[in-house]
Amino acid sequence: MSRIAEIYLPSKAKVIDVIEMTPDSKLFMVMPEMPFKYKPGQFVMFSLWGVGEVPISIASTFGVQKHIELCVRRVGHVTSAIHRLKTGDDIGIRGPFGNAFPITNARGKDTLFVAGGVGIAPLRYLINEVIKNKKDFRRIELIYGSRNPSEILFMDDINSWQKKGINVVLTVDRKDKDWRGNTGIVTEHLNKAKVSFKDAHAFICGPSVMIKAVMQDISQLGMYEENIFTTLESHMKCGVGKCGHCYADGKYICIDGPVFSYREIRQYNLNCTP
Amino acid sequence: MNKGMVLEKSKLSYWLRQLRKEMSLIGPMRGENSDIVFKTVENIHEIVLDCPASIPSPKEFLFPQKEKMFRYSKDGVENLRGNKGRLIFGVRSCDISAITLLDRFYGGKFVDDYYMSRRNNTIFISIGCNNPDITCFCIGLGSGPFLSSGFDIQLSDLGDRYLVEIGSKHGLEIIKDFIHLFSRPKKLDYDDQYEAILSSQARFEKRINLENARQKILSGQVNDSFWEVVAQRCFECGGCVYECPLCTCFNVIDRPYSPTDGVRLRVWDTCLFKGFTKMAGNIWPAEKKIMRTKRWYFHKLIYYPEQFGKFGCVGCGRCTITCPGRIDMATIASKIDMGDRRRKGGGG
Repeated sequence: MSRIAEIYLPSKAKVIDVIEMTPDSKLFMVMPEMPFKYKPGQFVMFSLWGVGEVPISIASTFGVQKHIELCVRRVGHVTSAIHRLKTGDDIGIRGPFGNAFPITNARGKDTLFVAGGVGIAPLRYLINEVIKNKKDFRRIELIYGSRNPSEILFMDDINSWQKKGINVVLTVDRKDKDWRGNTGIVTEHLNKAKVSFKDAHAFICGPSVMIKAVMQDISQLGMYEENIFTTLESHMKCGVGKCGHCYADGKYICIDGPVFSYREIRQYNLNCTP
Repeated sequence: MNKGMVLEKSKLSYWLRQLRKEMSLIGPMRGENSDIVFKTVENIHEIVLDCPASIPSPKEFLFPQKEKMFRYSKDGVENLRGNKGRLIFGVRSCDISAITLLDRFYGGKFVDDYYMSRRNNTIFISIGCNNPDITCFCIGLGSGPFLSSGFDIQLSDLGDRYLVEIGSKHGLEIIKDFIHLFSRPKKLDYDDQYEAILSSQARFEKRINLENARQKILSGQVNDSFWEVVAQRCFECGGCVYECPLCTCFNVIDRPYSPTDGVRLRVWDTCLFKGFTKMAGNIWPAEKKIMRTKRWYFHKLIYYPEQFGKFGCVGCGRCTITCPGRIDMATIASKIDMGDRRRKGGGG
């Protein structure tokens, strides 16, 4: 009998560095014992023995360094335990799982990224990828909203993106005394994007309410539904379309997604706002 | 394949006894409260044939209610995947049809190795149903009462003998060493089987047309006020899911023995339970009960056909027996179907 792959068995990985980014978000540098290839938008199942397993999207760019980077916001039981990890700790990892952001069709067109909070993490690889092939794309813009100025993630990346000619609009919900930039939610600043909406592709990630509002607004601004992409979150136990937890309206978020176009979200009535 | 043989009933227990020497034998037996349960057979005469549907379905031998996946420790992880050879005797046609579909579900791009390693080591001997229960409705779904493919071995009860049909390589393996027990079938044996099939088909009390229900849902004739009433009657007990031969959801939990040592288990889970989709941070897509109720029916009536070309229901009738709210598949599908007919009648 042929050997069957062990899809539920995590492989060992080591935490090689932890960077505290904001009071509730940390960036974990993780070195898997068995390196793997991944694409922008894919996720891994992050395992902590005795605690559980959660899906976390990959925030690093494949090929840049050997380790992978996972940006984890402390929200629940497992992510709180993940936040207690220190350099040198062992974890389990499975993946990569899910589809990827489709960028082939965006070539030759304007590209708009809209991120909210920790939602910048799954877009980071994609933005790097688009910038790397900048000559293939027309205007590249990022609108990024955070709760307050101290919670803006990946500021170094944002500065380097700006230096490479990307138009970045930052906005915060609550400003502090040093903040001179925009305030308010991202939808209030969509008009600042100088992309030609009719012929642009958009990639959105953030809280589910934000995703829905942004998708609606930019489709009203003229962008085609099939050119608007986001990545959905869900409760997941397996990552491979078996456990049923992410199953909704005939689609598994883990294997049919997590990246979906606005058209698919509407067609399958996928629940991006609970 | 599907080669036929004939086995005298008096030789059945000898055959099973010989097979039991090589692998563990599981069969339908009376449990407590006279339910039929599949368990390891100690005494072959205790096997109950021509019995009501077992509770739960034999899916538990391929996808157990609770299963240790692996052990983790400082030394790494050790897969605890079970692959014990098993012979399961006396399985109904509907359950075989369900397993054929489960093979496709747990297979595919990502193969569920826990299911598949059990499956590859399990041989099923099924028996065509001469006497359908009052809750059975496989007849409208092509999933019973007798099958023409999908089985390892199918027995047809012809009174004093069985017509034995071999449907797979696994099936052939458990016959070939005992070929002296079997005789070649005559035309009469096939004629008798045909009689048995017709007689069984005639005795189905339930004729449920899931296709009509599907069409009505797809054409928008079933609105949310209907599902609201169904949801109100759902106790969220999960009984239908646990007993359904085609419900596949599971949860994964860790059971630590010490901070560094423990096992990861998977256990059956239910999409009807409130917290099934709840995420960290209290984000809760299927918070409303109607969404959970609808999802169960839609998965079986709409999405299963889209994905596999078959309904996620084989008409075994177990949810009809189990559901305390009387919103089992047969009842709801016929309500959807008949509702329209009643309206048509009323309108003249």
